[in-house]
Amino acid sequence: MNLYVGKVLIINLSTATVSTEPLRLDWAKEYRGAWGLALRYYCHAVRPEVDPLSPENVIVLMAGPLGGTLVPLASRFCLVSKSPHTGTIFESNIGGAFGPELKFAGYDGIVIKGRAAAPVFLKIADDRVTLESAELLTGRGIFETEKILEAEIGSPDAKCLAIGPAAENLVTYSMIGSESYRQFGRGGTGALFGSKNLKGIVCRGTGAISVADMGRFLERINHYKNEDLLTEDNLWAKTDGTPILVEVTNEMGIHPTKNYTRGFNGRKEKLNSEAIQAAKIGDRACFACPMACGKFTRVNSAEIEGPEYETLCLAGSNCEINDLEAVIRFNRLCDDLGLDTMSCGSTISLAMEMTETGRHDFNLHFGQVDEYLKVIYEIATLSTERGRDLAMGVKKLAAKYGVDDLSMEVKGLEMPAYEPRGNYGMGIAYATSERGACHLRAFPIFTPDPFDITALVAEVVNAQNANGIKWSMGFCDFWGTMNTKIEADLLTVGLGEEVTAAELDLTGERIWNLSRLFNLRAGFTSADDRLPQKVMERPLEDGAQAGRVFSREDLTVAMDAYYSLRGWDEQGVPSQQKLVELGLDSLLKEDLS
Amino acid sequence: MKKQLFANPDHCTGCNRCTLICAAMKEGVFQPDKGRLKINNFPLRGYSVPSICFQCPKANCLEACPTAALYRDPDGVVLVNQDLCTSCGACVGACTYGMVELGEDGTAFKCDLCGGDPACVKECLADALLFTQGDDELVRLKAAQMKCRTISGSPSEKRHVMADIIVKKARA
Repeated sequence: MNLYVGKVLIINLSTATVSTEPLRLDWAKEYRGAWGLALRYYCHAVRPEVDPLSPENVIVLMAGPLGGTLVPLASRFCLVSKSPHTGTIFESNIGGAFGPELKFAGYDGIVIKGRAAAPVFLKIADDRVTLESAELLTGRGIFETEKILEAEIGSPDAKCLAIGPAAENLVTYSMIGSESYRQFGRGGTGALFGSKNLKGIVCRGTGAISVADMGRFLERINHYKNEDLLTEDNLWAKTDGTPILVEVTNEMGIHPTKNYTRGFNGRKEKLNSEAIQAAKIGDRACFACPMACGKFTRVNSAEIEGPEYETLCLAGSNCEINDLEAVIRFNRLCDDLGLDTMSCGSTISLAMEMTETGRHDFNLHFGQVDEYLKVIYEIATLSTERGRDLAMGVKKLAAKYGVDDLSMEVKGLEMPAYEPRGNYGMGIAYATSERGACHLRAFPIFTPDPFDITALVAEVVNAQNANGIKWSMGFCDFWGTMNTKIEADLLTVGLGEEVTAAELDLTGERIWNLSRLFNLRAGFTSADDRLPQKVMERPLEDGAQAGRVFSREDLTVAMDAYYSLRGWDEQGVPSQQKLVELGLDSLLKEDLS
Repeated sequence: MKKQLFANPDHCTGCNRCTLICAAMKEGVFQPDKGRLKINNFPLRGYSVPSICFQCPKANCLEACPTAALYRDPDGVVLVNQDLCTSCGACVGACTYGMVELGEDGTAFKCDLCGGDPACVKECLADALLFTQGDDELVRLKAAQMKCRTISGSPSEKRHVMADIIVKKARA
């Protein structure tokens, strides 16, 4: 078999059984890999109303067709399930080398069902796959867990997925870590593992991935690498990595500061790319990536790969922690204890605003480092009342204390580091993403007019469809000039059968619509395609977009235009014609009922 | 002076493009495990150490071979004549750097420098792999790496012993 390795591992934790199934080639053709293929498996495996943390929920992990090959930036690995944080279906993807390692072991993906009676880890050594006791790993952080799992499999070349105490305690924004500093970050992936008593997966693969014509495949890779990837549009990733966005978003006036009160951080020099470069001691890459956007930094004794832009902003500017060493320490604690830095930073900034405005005293203040670092452990271990409160995330915390006017989330997912009041495109992207406020479905920040709703709706729809297939191919966001023509060419040469760009365009749209169908059946409606009260009512302060809101009226206009362009009815439900066009009408006869 | 392969771990990003291209050229598939060089990653410390064949002037692998399947070409590169290899594994045990292994057909495989134009070097954009006559610094670096010898263990274990020593110094 070419590109794919042709098998999927099926793990039933309730019965402690491990089996393999041939890859569903019919689904692989319609959904290609990673996100799309995991989504298809998932929709077949559960009912939409499933409780995310119950044994009935399923986790699907899937590699992309180009993962493990020399195609650059193509080895990201996807997880699809229902989020314990938002209740929506969601996708999260991770870089590094776990996905390739799984393919070298002989599997394109893993379907995880049930719940183990006691903590276990999954050990994959090529065709030897076993469930082992993880009793002795309970409570340990991700860094130590990975080290122990490598020893358990007897190879320092093994790759791990692991959870920390936050996930064991079912914190709904806990994550799964890999290679210390890489994560399935958003949506509570960690709690899914935690709810199944699955402490981690360790994998060592020594096998091969084949392609139809190696000579031509290598020639195509070189061509796209030199002529498209390593060009001006993408080279920021190699030189600066994501911290470059600190200056960019500040200049645009969309850099969330002081719990999304201001759009500009007057002390940005403490956290910008120059500050990162001054602290940098090395460049780090994911598998087969020549860009190495990961900047390994050290300040005093604190070292980390990162911090990345989202953390610099949401745990830095947005908490007014203009201190790189403190943000590195925050980042490292989250990475080890197993918390999403974005949701965690955003929840802490809300608690800071609540404290400072007298709504509730958490003893957390903007710019105050000690308590900011202390509370992370309390959240992960649920060891204090304040920790338990903040472990709920922004939406539930705001509901408990009646501060909806301060909370910044969509569908329960904390908002990323791009202010929608200063770029309506980001607002439309947040309101319509299948997993809530997310910057990885559409990213229209470089649009010519950030307030042209009609143009932005079209841009968001196109980007969502394009990313549907891009994440399904396993590509990284940072190959910004990627398109379905390149994807189709690589698939055609690698598989030895023709794949067209038009097919892949349709696949992207199919994925988006299938996610929508799942959410509608899980109880979400157009009323959930919304923005936070603060965005709609309270003018942004400071910076280039000061005074702006994204009003309810404008949002209604935007959503009407969005549904219409999508071929959905006024309630945001895909039309029968759209379902037929995408081949989803037949899926509904078997699944999602 | 002839060109040599040098590895500079301070520049290595851990991406494995070198091991992928190596296996693609030698085996026709993507399979880092069959690469003639290896990358040892230490993600927690943000460091990676390439393991390369040094084409040792006094090559233990060559000396251990009972059938002269391993031999040195006029450029000083140690090569394997598959036809003479009896799969005894003596060379694997003899290499103190873990850089000779047995393939699926049982015969030994090792780095042959691609006949003087190593594919791994062309694939490395980080300048962690260099094919050059070498300056004083590179020569010193290689000499220091060659001191990290290990007699026992599997090839993988030997490579990691050397890599461990190097990462501890680099990230002290």
